[in-house]
This record gives sequence, C-alpha cells and structure tokens, in this order.
Amino acid sequence: MSRLYGDPIEVWTRDGEPTQFVWRDRLYLVRRVLDHWVVAREWWKTSEADPGERQFWRVEASPGREVGSYELRYDTAGNGWLLLRAWD
Amino acid sequence: MAPPFPHLHVCSAYSMRYGTAFPRALVSRAAEYGMDILALTDRDGLYGAMKHVQACADAGIAPVIGVNLALDAPATAPATGLATAPATGPATGPATAPATVAVRAPGIRTPRPRTGPDAEDRVTVLARGKGWARLCRLVTAAHFAGERGAPKVTRELIAEWAGGRETPGFGAEDGLVVLLGPRSDVGRAVAERRDEHARALLGQWRAAVPGVVIELVDQYGFRDATTAVRMLGLAESMDVPAVLTNAVRYLDPADHQVGDVLDAARQLVPLHPRHLDRTTSHAYLKGTKEMLQVAAKVCAGDQERMVRLLRTTRLLAEACAMDPLDVLALRNDPPALHLPEIGRDPVPLLRNRVEDGLHRRGLDRSAEARRRLDDELAIIERKRLSGYFIAVAGITDMIRDMGIRCAIRGSGAGSLVNYLIGIGEVNPLDHGLLMERFLSEGRIGLPDIDVDVESARRLECYQAIFERYGESRVACVSMMETYRARSAIRDVGGAMGLPPHEIDAIAKAFPHIRAKQITASLRDLPELRESRLGDAGLDRVFRLAERLDGLPRHIALHPCGVLIGNAGLRDRTPVERSLLEFPMSQFDKDDVEEAGLLKLDVLGVRMQSALAYALSEIKRVDGITVELDTQHGPERPDVQYVPHDDQDTYDMICAARTLGCFQIESPGQRELVAKLEPRKMHDLIVDISLFRPGPVNSDMVTPYLEARGGWRKPYYPHESLREALKETHGVVVFHEQVLKIISVMTGRDLSYAEKLRRTLDTPEGRERVRRAFVPLARANGFDDAAVERAWQVLDAFGSFGFCKAHAAAFALPTYQSAWLKRHHTAAFFAGVLTHEPGMYPPRVIIDEARQCGVRILPLDINKSGRHWQVERLGPRVQVRVRPSELEGGGSRVRREFRIGDIGKGYALRVPFSAIKGVSEAEVERMVAGQPYTSLADFWDRARPSRPTIERIVQVGGLDALHGLRPGGPRWRPGELTRRDLIAQVGALDRASAIGVQAGPRKSRRYSSHSSRSSRSSHMSPMSQGASAKDAAPPAVQLPLGFSERLPPGELPEMTETEMVEAELEILGIDVSRHVISFHEELLDALGVVRSKDLLRQRNGAEILVAGVKVATQTPAIRSGQRIIFTTLDDSTGPIDLTFFESVQGRCASIVFGSWLMLARGVVRRTGARAVTMRALDCWNLADLDALWRSRGIEAVRAVIDRAPEEAAGGVGGRPIEYANGFRLSPYSDLAPPATANPPRRLWHASPGSSGPTAA
Repeated sequence: MSRLYGDPIEVWTRDGEPTQFVWRDRLYLVRRVLDHWVVAREWWKTSEADPGERQFWRVEASPGREVGSYELRYDTAGNGWLLLRAWD
Repeated sequence: MAPPFPHLHVCSAYSMRYGTAFPRALVSRAAEYGMDILALTDRDGLYGAMKHVQACADAGIAPVIGVNLALDAPATAPATGLATAPATGPATGPATAPATVAVRAPGIRTPRPRTGPDAEDRVTVLARGKGWARLCRLVTAAHFAGERGAPKVTRELIAEWAGGRETPGFGAEDGLVVLLGPRSDVGRAVAERRDEHARALLGQWRAAVPGVVIELVDQYGFRDATTAVRMLGLAESMDVPAVLTNAVRYLDPADHQVGDVLDAARQLVPLHPRHLDRTTSHAYLKGTKEMLQVAAKVCAGDQERMVRLLRTTRLLAEACAMDPLDVLALRNDPPALHLPEIGRDPVPLLRNRVEDGLHRRGLDRSAEARRRLDDELAIIERKRLSGYFIAVAGITDMIRDMGIRCAIRGSGAGSLVNYLIGIGEVNPLDHGLLMERFLSEGRIGLPDIDVDVESARRLECYQAIFERYGESRVACVSMMETYRARSAIRDVGGAMGLPPHEIDAIAKAFPHIRAKQITASLRDLPELRESRLGDAGLDRVFRLAERLDGLPRHIALHPCGVLIGNAGLRDRTPVERSLLEFPMSQFDKDDVEEAGLLKLDVLGVRMQSALAYALSEIKRVDGITVELDTQHGPERPDVQYVPHDDQDTYDMICAARTLGCFQIESPGQRELVAKLEPRKMHDLIVDISLFRPGPVNSDMVTPYLEARGGWRKPYYPHESLREALKETHGVVVFHEQVLKIISVMTGRDLSYAEKLRRTLDTPEGRERVRRAFVPLARANGFDDAAVERAWQVLDAFGSFGFCKAHAAAFALPTYQSAWLKRHHTAAFFAGVLTHEPGMYPPRVIIDEARQCGVRILPLDINKSGRHWQVERLGPRVQVRVRPSELEGGGSRVRREFRIGDIGKGYALRVPFSAIKGVSEAEVERMVAGQPYTSLADFWDRARPSRPTIERIVQVGGLDALHGLRPGGPRWRPGELTRRDLIAQVGALDRASAIGVQAGPRKSRRYSSHSSRSSRSSHMSPMSQGASAKDAAPPAVQLPLGFSERLPPGELPEMTETEMVEAELEILGIDVSRHVISFHEELLDALGVVRSKDLLRQRNGAEILVAGVKVATQTPAIRSGQRIIFTTLDDSTGPIDLTFFESVQGRCASIVFGSWLMLARGVVRRTGARAVTMRALDCWNLADLDALWRSRGIEAVRAVIDRAPEEAAGGVGGRPIEYANGFRLSPYSDLAPPATANPPRRLWHASPGSSGPTAA
C-alpha cells in the first residue's frame, strides 16, 4: 500500500542519481534504483521559457534496517526535490 | 575504450512534420561524437537518403539506410496465437497485399490515430549493405499499397522484398532487416503485458522475414524501461537478436517543443498530451556515453547482458553499413549512369539521325557545322549519352506530333546535335552558342535538356511519355515544400489553438519571407511595424514559427522534371504517387542527378499556350495560318511566315509598348528596351541577358548602352579578345564570352574554361581560378598587364554573365509574342487573357488592348465563348497584314509608330469563364446551348446556377438580347431594365423550385410585355434579392406560363457607376468604363498628370499622378535597399513608380494596401521614350475622394500639401552582402503581402482598407 506525500526533501546525488535523502528528519540511504523516468511538462501552458521537465525516481531506500520503496520527483526548472510516495 | 555506438533508428527532417534535424546536421553531430556508422530511417520514405549518404561520405562515416513504415494491422487484435500468418509465398504484385486482405477479420475495425498513445504500429526496416534496391522497391510497394501519402506495409509485403535466408541472423547480404521496437505490434503486446501474444507475433515475423531484430528503446518515459527490459527478455527467450537504439528525432533536447508542434500540426489538432508522440525530450542524438547509460539501465546493471546488447547493435550496424558509392552513382569514375533502353545500339542511331538533320536543316555542306558536330558527338559518345539524346528527341517529336507547341530552353540550345535532331529550333551556329556550357568533358554532372511546352497541355505530355515508356521506366521528380513564414505561422497558430480567422489574418500580413525572418521583419518592415503585430502577445507563436524555418512540410510534384530510365529505375529510386496519380520519385532534382538518373525538364509555359491560342484565333477569324516557327516559305495568301527582322515589330518594342509580351513586359524591362532600342534578334538576346540581378547589380547596363550608342569607346582588355567581346561592345554579358576569354588567354579548350567558369561563383573559387589562370595566360605569351586586365574583367563579371543559349532560347518566344502583338493584336491579347502568362492582372491587359485600338465587347450570352474570342468588326483590312511588303522591302520609310492603330478593326469578347464563381460544366452548357432567344430560354437550356445567372445579368450578358441600354436615367417605366431581369431570375428560380417539373426544365417563354404587378414599386436596389424572396407568393401555384407577372421598368436601371462596380466585382475587369474615369473631376482639380502626357514633362519636375495599382514588385537591387516598384494604370498607359526606402516609412502600407492611388513623384527621364517616377509620397485615392465629396477640394489639397512628417524609420534589416560587393535587401524579390482587391463600392472606402490587419 502506498501513501502520497509530496513533501519537499533534501537529496544528495552522484552522477545525477540520488544516493541519499532526508525526509522527516531521517536520513535514507538509496540501496537500488528501481525505475527512473522523465515527464515533460505541458510547456505550451506554462508561462515563459520553462523547459520544465520532471524526473521521477523510484528507489529502494532504508532509513535503518527496514527497506522501503520511495518515489522521488526532481523539478528541473525549480531545482527542487519532492518525496511523492512511499511504500513502507 | 568501447567502440562508438551506432545509431540505427534516426528520423531526420525528411520525416515530414515529424523530424526536426537535417541529415547533414545529424551526420556532423555524429562525427563530433566520433561515431563511425549512422543510420537514417525516415518515416514513410527515402526522401533524405541521398543527402544522408552524401553527408556521410563527406564526413567519412559509413551510412546505413532504412525506412520507418506503418503496419497495416489486421482487424481486431487477435487472440493469442490466432493470427496465423498465411504462407509468405511470392505475392502477386507490389501494388497489392492480397494476403493481408485475407487475414483481415470481417469484424469492426477502428482506425487508429497516426500518433499518440494509440497510434498505428510502426516498424523500421534497414537495408543490408547491398540491400538498397530492395529497400527502394519495398518503399514503392508500400506507397502503392496504402492510400496516397499514407504508405502501409504488412508482414507479407516486407517478406516479399526482404531477400533470401541463406545466412542466418540478419538475412541475406542484399536483403532487409526488420527492427521491431516498442512501437511495433510486438512491442505493444509486450507493453500491454500480453506475453503470449507477443511471442506469437514475433514467431510470425521470424517465419516470414529472415532478418528480424528486437529494438530496445528507453527515452526515460514512464514505463519505457520496463517495456525494454521485458522485450529483452522476450528476445533472449526466443533467441532473436536484440539491439539498442534511441529512436532519434531531435538533434538537441531543446528541439522537443518543435517536435510537439509538428505532432499537432500533422494531425491538425491543438497541442494536448493525448496527441503527442513523446513524453520526454530524450529522443535526441545521444553520444556514446549517454547511450551506455541507457544500455546499463535497460540491462538493469547486468554487465554481461549489456556487453551482448551493444555487441549485437554493433554487428547489425556493420552488416548494414553500405558503400556510399553504391548509391552516389555520380561519384564513381566513370559515373554509373542509368540510361534509357533504346532497343539497339544508340551510337550509330544518333549518328544517322544527326546526318539526316544536317540535310534537313540545309547544313550538309557547311564545314563549320561538320567540325562542330564531330566535337559534340565525340563528347556525347565518350560519355555514353547517345541513348539519352535519342530518347529526348523521341519525346519532343511525340509532343509536336500531338500538336503541342514545344521549344527548347536553357543551355541545351547551345548544342548543334539538339538542333539537328529536332529537340530545339535554335541554331547555335547563328548565335555563336557553345555546347560546353551544356555538356563538356570536365563537367561532372549530367546534361539537362529543358523543353517548354504549352502549360495548358503539360500533363498531356506527361501522360504520353508514361504511355510510351511504361510507368516502371519513367517517373516525375519531386520537390520538398518547406516551411516559410506564412505556413509556419499557420501551423504553429493552429497548434497553439488560435482561432482560424486570426491565424489567417496574421499569416497574410507577412510577405513571402523565410520563417526565420519573422521577428526581424516585424521590426524592419514599415508595413508590419504599423500593423503592431509585434505587440500582440504572439511572441511564442513567432518564436516557434521561426524554428520551423526550412523544415520540409510536404512533398510535391516538381514543376517539370521527368526521369527517363530503364526497367531498373525502381531499383534506384523509390517512387510514390503524386496528387495527380503520376509516379513520382522521392528524390528531388539534386538527388536524382547524384543518383545518376537522367532527366528531361518538361516545363509548362503559359506563353506557349497563349501563342497557340492566338494562332487558333487567327485561323478561326481570319482564315490565316501563321507559321510562327518558320521565317520564310512558299508564298500563299492564307499563310504567313514570321521573319526575325520585321521592323514593325521592333518599332513597337522600341516604343516600349511590350505589355503582354514574353520576358519584356515588366516596368524594368520596358525601361530597358526603350533605352536599348532592339533592332534584331541579337539585341533581344542581349536585352534578356542584361535584365538579370547580376548585370543590373554590377551595372553592366550603362557601359553597354554607352558603347552601343557610340558615346564610349569599347574596351577590350587585349586585342585578341576583340573577337569574343565584339558582339557586346566589350562588355561581358554572356557565359559564352567568359569561356572564350579564358580559352583565348590560357590556350586551353572550352571544356577546361567551363570548369574554371563554374568555380568563379565564390570568392575562394575566384582565388583558385586566379592561381590557375594567371600562370597559364603568362605561359601562353600574354604580358603581365594584359593578363591583369583580363583577370579584372573575369573577376568582376565572370560570375554574373548569363548563358547566351538560355537567352537565345528565350528571345525566340519573346520575339514571336511581340510579332503577334504587332500584327494580330486582338488574337494575341485573346491568348494572353485566356492563359494569363504574365505579371499583370487581366484588367491591365484589357486596357493595353484598348489602347492598341482593340474594342472590348461585353459579355453576351449569344456571342461569348468559353475563352476570350476575337470578333472582327467589318471586313478584313488587307493592308494590316503585310505592311513591310508594301513599303517595297529595303527602302522602307520609318513611319511614326501609332499604337492606337495596330488593333483596329477587331474586338475581344468577354467570355463566360471570366464570370466569378462559374463552374466549368456551366460554361460548357452555356456555350453548347447557343443561341438563346430569351432569359427563360437561357435559364432552361443552359441551366446556370442562380448566382451565376444573376451575375451574368448584372454585367450585361443579356443586354443585347433584350435590348437594354443601361446608363442615363435610372427610372424608365415600361422599359425593361437589368434589375427587372434579375427579378425574373428569382421568379424562374421559384417556379422551378416548387416542383413544376422534374428533369430538364421545360421552356417557359418570357414575354417582355406582360405586366400587372403584385409588388410594391419602391425597393432598394441592393436588398432586392432578399425582398424578392420575401415577396414570393406561397409556393403552391400551378405551372402557368409564368406564375409571377413582372412589369418592365418596375425596377430602376443600373447607373454607370453600378455597372462598373458590378464588372469589377464579377469579372475583375472594368469593361464599360475605366475606373479612373469616375475620379476625373478630382484629378483635374488637383492637376494630376496622365500617363500619355508624362513624356512632355521635363526631367526633375515634381508632379502628381494617379491610377489603379496593377503591379507591385520588390526585386533585388544593387544598393541593398528594398525598393518597391509599383505600376499604376490611369487608362492612358502605365505609370511606373519607384519607392525608395527613405519614403517607405510613410508609404509602404498605403502602397501595399490600397487599390486606387494618388502619388507625388519626381520625373526621371531615362531615354528618348522612357520615363519613370521617383515617388515622394502617396495616398489612397478612395480616401481622398471621400474627403473631397464631404469637405471639398481645399481639404484634399491640405492633406496632400502637408509636408510629409518625418518617416517612422525606413526599412531595416542588414543587407545580405555578397562577396563581390553586391548587397541585397533581405526582403527583396518577394511577392508583396496581402494584395489589395478592388473595393466593392467605388465611392466609399472602408476605414480599415488602407493597411494590413492589425491583430
């Protein structure tokens, strides 16, 4: 069962891939990238010169011993990360 | 270091309205990445293949060619394993796919959209290294299987051309390989997780086609990776090779917006995710490193799988890499030409035909002809082109046998062989034409014979060619229509969801410029600045439209090229159907040449049709046969020949009365002929050669005229060049002269000279030529100064000259048209009006005809024909026919040329086809039913539509029949008027509408004396149609002779103004009176000078002129300005105005936007009979007229006397600067924007009519 969150989070990356992130004051280490995809925004609706792309990462990560799946979203235009969903 | 990644799925801009990058850009990017193999797999065709192969060959990359085709899917998605593929035996013909039809279930078949998530299935087919011929054949077959423009393949169709299966893996060396990617039927089944179905489909593919490969694509879209992983699993489990591609569509990630717009434009829908192909911007040409990341992702980090995947990709790429020389026939040595089949050895055949020709043309004793012929034949035979000449001669003979006028054009006229075997009628020896310009030893490339035929019958010629050679041996050449400003704005506007009428208004505000000039033009051009489109919040539309610049939009039939080949033609070029169902090569004219295919240009020329029509009218009316192409012949009363030295014709040309003639009717040419005063054919050749951007820009005209007039001594760089330059008084006018200079100076032959001449086009080339030319000339014994002088001439003019053969070929129809205008004026204008060969609208031609003394007769249902017809007024005037004879030959006294006399005694009748909105079938019926006895008779038998018959009445088509005399008093009780007739039309229409009869209407005679009205007698003329309907009785009357009685004189007659208004609206021509005549009072009050009085004005005088704007041009001009040339017509002749940039700020929008114009200008006398005007200011005459009527003459004077406020800036834009210092406005040579139409009402200009639409 997954839950939707949408919390802004802080993420560390290596070669563009997330390696660890902090969510609700806990540090999660990314064990494995399950999937990664990109969704382009409907640029013709956005205001100006927004090449806005959203990168989605589905990862296995663990804040300790137990491992869960998390979906992270990176907004290229805003340069910010969100934690979208979690399966835990 | 891993070997570079080979992209095997790449769509270029030649995937129309899909791809965004040109092959050359893709190839150079791949070269930057260090790639050694690159494929091009455009959608639906091989349109870009030749360009890709060329670019690859230049960049040292091995090309792979493929095509991406839509699958014609069987009906409903069949249950697992059900769709048993029928045996893939040899199918019947390429044009059918009977096997698929059989498979197609009878059930419901919902068509799938072409793009978007539910789009049709597509597969990519790659040619193996030697598989080019099979690929061409497959593409052709796909186009003949699907609808036009929507090719489709089936598994069976691919199997038919895929080649043998002797080698496992990728099939035969000359075969085809099918890539099944995520968009294929297999890929979709996998994505839908229907694994069994996917296995079954893949099994069928493998059974049908030897080379089947699974293509993995991951563009980082949602579930892309999942599908790729599953497809890899499928491939491994069935032991099918799998390769990685990126399904490339863009050069850079940022191109995806353009791709989205194209997706929307292709489907004519607004932008919305459900219409778009992509979800991400990752479909760009990625480098090797990026592709390794994709591979790692697809293989989920499994190193071994990843290596295997990349290795297979590499192997397939190597198996498909082709040798560019296999396709680029011309780069082979000797070129691998594709020659037509003649049946027997063409060499002796051509020699025999040439020998016959020598006798027929009376040249068999000429040593010069023999010598020339030997040279030409030697080159032709060495190049093995004899068969081509035979084939072309066969075609031109065939065309002439069909009774179609046919003339050679272009450099081909320089070949004696062409003259002797009857391809052309220009004797190169007469004009000193050289063959080397056409065909030479050193010239790489193929000779190109161009013939002009009657435009109206061009397709007949094509048909005959196809019938003679068979469709498999001949094909038309295609050309790419690309995005320009207007089309780009239309498509982007549509994609962005703007309302259609707004899109239309915005697009039409722009002149025909390139799309990438849009933003700049909004700033640079006064008429656009004034429209304020730049501030309309359309920035994004314009920005996107600019990015579509130059992208291919659709393919079209090239206007003239026909490929002539042998049975193997379709192994060399893919062929599709054109709009007119002609087989059409997917290659454009450059590709065709590169592929070693020979072509013949059959160009439809309207003037040839006009000449042919004029000849037929002369025959019909006067019973005289004019032998237009024969100068002299046996004397016969009913035959006229056309000698090339007829001074009456030259008198007319010298008087600049050339309106309507071929090539010399434009304002610039009229000015030039008046100065140049041609007296023989050679003068016309020079005139045509001089009137080109090059000579005009480098000002070769002035020195030529001065030397010709004897005011300046001809300049020869060296005495030995006198021979070459004598004919043009020392000025280099022709390419042929450049060749002779080089040949004389260097002592080398003309072929070598031609090679150097071709290099003169660019500054670098000139430098190269200089390095070759100078030492050779010195070695040849010329001193340094002479060499330097000769070089300076070459440097200055070498790249500008005009091919004399070209000009000679043009001069012939030019002279012929002038001759006809002079001697058979009415018939000539009938031809010109019917086929509209020139730049002027019909009303200008009509006016010119009027000034020549030809009467213009109104439409008459009993006398008008299908086209413009000549009518003789009284008996034929014998004197008019042979004036030169009467003068007694040589001792001819030069008479004053009187333009008003040349057409006397003849009239032109307005035809049915001139009526606005009339259909061809109506015209046929109206002509067939003549004569008519009344309106009702006409209505019954000709059965015109109601709007058509109303228009005919309005322009007086029944005046003669019913004795109407419009003009004069409006109310004339008891006398029939045009408006009465229109009311009758309504009655007739209602009578037939209530079902009085079925089938052909029975005659219901209209009696002009029936009276007794049931209608009120005051009715506003304009609302009459509507009120007639209101007043209609309940439609249940019995068919009496006439159910409604309409008394004559019930309605007012049309006034003269109304008549002219109707004529302008319906015919586009003011037949009864010239429009300007309505403004005469105002013009006289202002002291406006008329065209016929211009010659009496002194140079530099500042005067007012007025007229109807009949032509506007912005040609290329030396100074780099954009100059507007406008011609006004004031019923006494044309007035040519020049608007320089300094006045365009205030004038441009008026010039482009108004129809009647008043202008102030300075008189410039340019020759004895030539006057032009430099415009200072201009006004819309209709506005001034309104002002005059409301506020009086003083108000008008105040407006035109007001000092022009300082212009709001002139035309901007940096001139395009050519290497030789020749500057060109970026906006020159364009058709002007929104053409102004005649106003609907002559008196009231709407306030918005004076400029382009503001958004």
